[in-house]
Amino acid sequence: MTNPIDPKILEAMDQHRTTRRRFLGMGGLALGGLALGPTLLAACSSDSNSSGGGGGSNSITMLNWPLYIEGDDPSTSATLKNFAASTGIKVDYRNSIDGNESFNTKYQATLEKGNGIGADLIVLTSWNAAAYIGANLVQPLDSAVFPNKKNVISRLANPSWDPGRTKSIPWAVGQTGIAYWPDKVGGKITDVNALFNPQFKGKVTILDEMRDTVGLTMLGMGTNPATGTTTQMLAAVDKIEKARDAGQFKKVTGNSYTEDLALGDTWIAVAWSGDVAQLQADNPGLEWVIPSQGGMLWVDNAMIPVGAKNPEGANKLLNYVYDPAVAGPLYESILYIPPVTGAEQYMTPAAQASPFIVPPATPPLYEFDVISPDVAEEVERAFVAATEQ
Amino acid sequence: MTTAAAPSRFRRTHRESGTDDTSVPARRRFTPWLLIAPGGLWLLVFFIIPLVSLGVLSLEDGGISNYSNVISDNATVIIRTFIYATIATIAAIAIGYPLAYVIATKGGKYKNLLLALVVLPFFVTYLVRTLSWKILLFDGGPVVGVLQSIGILNENQSVLGSPFAVIAALTYNFLPFMVLPIYVSLEKIDWRLIDAAADLYSSPARAFRKITFRLSLPGLFAGTLLTFIPAAGDFVNSELLGSDRTVMIGNIIEKNFGKEFFRPELSALSFMLMAIILVGVIFYARILGTEEIV
Repeated sequence: MTNPIDPKILEAMDQHRTTRRRFLGMGGLALGGLALGPTLLAACSSDSNSSGGGGGSNSITMLNWPLYIEGDDPSTSATLKNFAASTGIKVDYRNSIDGNESFNTKYQATLEKGNGIGADLIVLTSWNAAAYIGANLVQPLDSAVFPNKKNVISRLANPSWDPGRTKSIPWAVGQTGIAYWPDKVGGKITDVNALFNPQFKGKVTILDEMRDTVGLTMLGMGTNPATGTTTQMLAAVDKIEKARDAGQFKKVTGNSYTEDLALGDTWIAVAWSGDVAQLQADNPGLEWVIPSQGGMLWVDNAMIPVGAKNPEGANKLLNYVYDPAVAGPLYESILYIPPVTGAEQYMTPAAQASPFIVPPATPPLYEFDVISPDVAEEVERAFVAATEQ
Repeated sequence: MTTAAAPSRFRRTHRESGTDDTSVPARRRFTPWLLIAPGGLWLLVFFIIPLVSLGVLSLEDGGISNYSNVISDNATVIIRTFIYATIATIAAIAIGYPLAYVIATKGGKYKNLLLALVVLPFFVTYLVRTLSWKILLFDGGPVVGVLQSIGILNENQSVLGSPFAVIAALTYNFLPFMVLPIYVSLEKIDWRLIDAAADLYSSPARAFRKITFRLSLPGLFAGTLLTFIPAAGDFVNSELLGSDRTVMIGNIIEKNFGKEFFRPELSALSFMLMAIILVGVIFYARILGTEEIV
C-alpha cells in the first residue's frame, strides 16, 4: 500500500509518539496508588478546582485524551488559538485523560456529590459517557449557543443512551481493525477469522480491551456486536478462550502490542487506527485492514460535567469545532474520523484518501453495544478469565 | 541487620544506661519520638491508612468469600508468581553471591569501581532497561539467532514471551539488591578468622562453610527479601517480555483494578500476596536462624 497520508502530518505525529492508549498504560502504573486514598484524592481535586476552571466568562477548562488536538500542544494548536482569537475565550486545555476507568477513579465520586471537578468539558468513551448521563453527572448542551450541533454525522446523531445528542457530542472517532505483515502471512488478509487461523499460531496478538477483541470475534462469528445478546458475547469469549488454550495468541495485551508488531514478531494484530497510522511511518510494509465482516468503531464524547463554571464557553468551543471548516484541518491533523458533516471538504486530497480519516463505506464499522453494568461485568469477568487467568 | 557479630554484652550495658531516665532532662526523653515522628507520620498517612482502606475494600461486596473466589480463580497465576519469584531469587543468589565475594575479597583498589558497575544499570529507567531486553530477545534478534544456530531452539521457538525471558529479566532487574547486602556483610568479615581456621587445619571449603558463609547470612537474608518481594509483586517484566501464559499476580491487579466491580477481589488478592510473603519471610528467617545473627 502506498502511504496515503501527507508526510508532513506523519512527521508531526512522529514527534508525539506516545499514543493515547500508551498513556493509558502509564496511567495504570499510577492507578493503584490513586484508588487507595480517596481522601487524598479529594484534596488533589479540590486543589485543581482552585487552580483550574477559575476563569469567569473568558476561559474554560477542558480535560481531553492525548493527541486529540493539533500536535497535542494547546499552545500551538490552530483550533484553540483561533477560537481564542475569535471569541476571546481562552482554553485551559489538558490532555490528562489516560483511561475511562482511571478517570472514573479520580472524578466520579466528586461529581456524584454534585461538586465541580474544575473542568467545563470532559471527553469519555460512549459506554462510560452513557453511565455519566444515566447518573446525571453532566449538563445538557445548549443548542442556542451550539447551533452547529446539527452537523454531527448522522450515524452518531442518535445513540440509544443519548437520543438527539442532548448531553454529549462526539469529539473523536477511531477504528479497531487488523494490522498485519503481508510478507509474513503470505498475502492479503480480508477475513477477520485470520486471527484464529492455526497457520498463524503463536503469531497473533489480541487486545485486552474486551469491547475491541470480543467485537471483532463476534463479527467473525456472524453476530452483530452493536446489538448482540449476552449469550452471543459469551460465545465469542468462549471462542477466544479455546484459541488461547490452543496457543493461537502470542499475547493478549494493551498498548504494548505495537512494539512486537513493529519488530515483526507479531504477524497479525488487533490494532487501533491511530497506532497503525503512526507505525506505518516507520514500517511502510505494514498493512491496515478493516476485515470484510466489518471493524469496530469507538467514539469519545465531549460532555459538560456538573459544577462546570462556564458551560456557555464550553458550548461555544464545541460550536466552533463543529464548523466543518474548522473540523477539517483539525481531524486531518489528529488522524481520526471527523464526527462533523462536511469536514472532509476542508481537507487535503491526501487526507481524504486516508482510510484512517475517511474510511470507505464498506466494510461497515460497528460500535460495541452500550450494555448494562451487570452485563458488562459478566462479559468482562469472562473475558479476563479467558485471557489472563 | 548490620550489627552482625555485635556481642550481646554491649547491648545490655547500653540499654541499662539508657533506662536511667530520671537523670536526663525531659526534653531529651522526647528526642527519639521527635526523630521518628516524620517517618512515623509518613508511614501512617501513606502506608497504614491506605492499607486499612485496602483491607476494608477487600471485604466489600462478597465479604470473606472474595478471598476464596480470588484464590480459586487465580490459583495458577498465584502459584506461577511464586515459582517465578523463587527461581529469580535463587538465580540472583547464584550469580550475586560469587560476584559479591570476588568484589569483597579480590576487589582491592577496584572495589568501588566494581560496585559502581553493579549499580550502574540503576541509572537507566526500569522501563527502558526492560524494554531493551525486547530488542535482544525478539525473534529476529541476536539471542534467538545464536540459540537457533547452535540448535538449542528450533526455527519456530521464541524466547520473547517465554517464562525464561520473564524470569531472566526479573533476576537481572533485582540483582543489585542481592549483590549489595551480601557484599556489605562479606566486607565486614575479619579475614583473620579464616587464617585461624587454616591454622587449625580446616580445609578452605570448611572454613568458608563454617565462617564466611555463616557471617554473610544477614546479607544473604536481606538480599533475598529485597529480591523476592519486589519480584513477586512485579508486573513490568511479564507485561513487556512475557505472554498471556506468563501472567503474574501484579499483572492481574494492574490490568483490572480500574474496573470497579473487580476492586474488592483484587484488594483481597493484594492482601493474600502480602500474607503469603510475610509467612514465607518468617519461615525463611527461622530456617536461616537469622534471629540470632541479625
